[in-house]
Amino acid sequence: MLLSLIILYIITLIYLSIVERFRNYASIIALQGWILLGIALLRLHTLDWVELSFIITETLIFKALIVPAILMRVIKQTKINRVSSSGSSQFNSLMLSLIALGISAVTTYFVADSSTHMIFFGVALYALLSGLILIVLRSRIFTHMVGFLVIENGVFLFSMAIGVEMPILINTAIMLDILISVLMLGMFMTKVDHQIHTDDSDSLTHVKD
Amino acid sequence: MIYLYFILWLAIGACAFFVRSRREVHLLCGLYIASHLLFAGRLLFGGNYLSTSGVFFTFDAAGSLFYMLLVIVGGFVLIHSQEYLKDDDFRNYRKYFALLMLLITAITGVYFANNIAVTWILLETTTLCSAGILYHRHSEQTLEATWKYLFVCSTGIAIAYLGILLLSAAASNNSLNYEDMQVLITHGNPLYLKVAFLLILTGYSCKMEIFPLYTIGVDANFAAPAPASALLSTGLVNAGFLAIFRVYRLFAETEVFEWIRHVMIIIGVMSLIVGALFLRRTNNYKRFLSYSTVENMGIVAIGLGIGGIGVWAALFHVICHTLIKSSLFLQIAVVRQIYNGYRINRIGDYININKVGAIGIIAGIVMILAFPPSPLFVSELMILSQTITSGGWWLAAIILLLLCIVIYSVCQRMIRLCYHPNQDELHLSNINRRLSYSAFVLLLGAIILGLWQPQSLVALIDKIAIF
Repeated sequence: MLLSLIILYIITLIYLSIVERFRNYASIIALQGWILLGIALLRLHTLDWVELSFIITETLIFKALIVPAILMRVIKQTKINRVSSSGSSQFNSLMLSLIALGISAVTTYFVADSSTHMIFFGVALYALLSGLILIVLRSRIFTHMVGFLVIENGVFLFSMAIGVEMPILINTAIMLDILISVLMLGMFMTKVDHQIHTDDSDSLTHVKD
Repeated sequence: MIYLYFILWLAIGACAFFVRSRREVHLLCGLYIASHLLFAGRLLFGGNYLSTSGVFFTFDAAGSLFYMLLVIVGGFVLIHSQEYLKDDDFRNYRKYFALLMLLITAITGVYFANNIAVTWILLETTTLCSAGILYHRHSEQTLEATWKYLFVCSTGIAIAYLGILLLSAAASNNSLNYEDMQVLITHGNPLYLKVAFLLILTGYSCKMEIFPLYTIGVDANFAAPAPASALLSTGLVNAGFLAIFRVYRLFAETEVFEWIRHVMIIIGVMSLIVGALFLRRTNNYKRFLSYSTVENMGIVAIGLGIGGIGVWAALFHVICHTLIKSSLFLQIAVVRQIYNGYRINRIGDYININKVGAIGIIAGIVMILAFPPSPLFVSELMILSQTITSGGWWLAAIILLLLCIVIYSVCQRMIRLCYHPNQDELHLSNINRRLSYSAFVLLLGAIILGLWQPQSLVALIDKIAIF
């Protein structure tokens, strides 16, 4: 079951590379939230119930419900529906994503040892690379935000790889999620949207040398 | 003890959000500075030095030394800000001071944290406080800088967290305390240790303003009001430095330490290259000073990479850089009040407009360029001699070449400010020479350190540098 969820998570990351509509981005982030919830339930069931319930509640409320809802609201407010003037074609994005998957698999094979869960490590690395690819290849700020959320999910996943023994690490990762995402999404909603109009990141070039 | 002070500082900061007059803001600032002085006094003379407070904080030599510097710089920044922002909208004014006090509190926590996760959390807290300060002017430019700052810092800090996770996996233990980790990672998987260090260094580089995420610090200094830039470019940079230094120290007994030192040298040289090149390119005095920070932090990274006496020199360099750079930023705040801008190609003739300020800037430049009696001369000389002693002639040559470019760029730009004819509108009524004199005090401290290093300071740095 755990393996099925992880494979599904990898598929969402691959799909993310060919998505063009913002609504689909938000849906994938929501789906990833639900998958992470499932993984957390299966992986961390041995934890103390207080810690487990905190992690589960956070994943459910924050990752699966609130963040996707905020993303949907941004889409409604800005009325921008799809990636435009993308830096590369869907095919190139897909190829890059698959190369990242290959690199993650090879790296994991050589790096992972008994102290980390090999599959978690590989998927977390792939999530990190996918997020970075999304930020570099796509030009809209909204997509950058999604890229950041994908990286966050990767970090959360990796914290679960070694967190069975160290729940404090998972709690810290959750704090990172809540603190930063709320601030960034809040700022995105209230300020960037109105003043910079979630336009291409090329418009963010006033502050330079 | 520290928890009580944290509560007090947070309470004062929070109160500043709700006060109704500037006088009340000033009173809170006074109270805040006084409480820090009291805390510093208890640390120095109350027997709290080297003790542990609660589970997560220890008043060790490194933390205490940088905290003393923070109190000095923080006090100056709070006082200068009152004059600098006197014409601002009151709501923004009180928010600025509240965030500034919260930022200083968070930085204090970073300095004293004895746990890698707590350091990380508090560093992220500094991002949140800084973001509010950067957006103070509410312009499109500051919004862009704030958005970039939040985005890059958050991504960086997430990457650093991956490094911390890997490090704890390598240590295979439940404790994230620095002392415990130092022992446990000695037998850790070398590949894990290397990757962990790279990730942490990359993540924290946005705070220390070194390669690769240095840009965001430059943008932050550009967007923030000049007195706040003095704090960001020194107190916050020191927090990033200390976070990296503590992780660097963890690896001292591991087999990958040699490799880590090489990484530090590469990062240092890259930062030095970036600083040297962009000092020639930028057209804004605040960005100019920020690139100077990148350059100086590059030298510090090289010092750590060289090892030996280089570590001592790196620490001394950071301490003196704090005094000099904060003085320069406070001086440049006065420049802004007179010219209402920082454009290098437009403003000039400062020597005839504000002689005290101009002398302060020229003296500051002499200091930052490490000409004697600058204390940076001492540290750079030590780093160069250690480099040559350890056979790194090529490295010494590269450093010297880059420093020559830096010296040429800085002299050219700053002489332009003082002696080139001015082309911008002047706001002479805003001249406040008291601020120029006041910023001089910090510089004076640096000059004294260049001529004479007190034995207590030398002993303190010895204690930090030997591990």
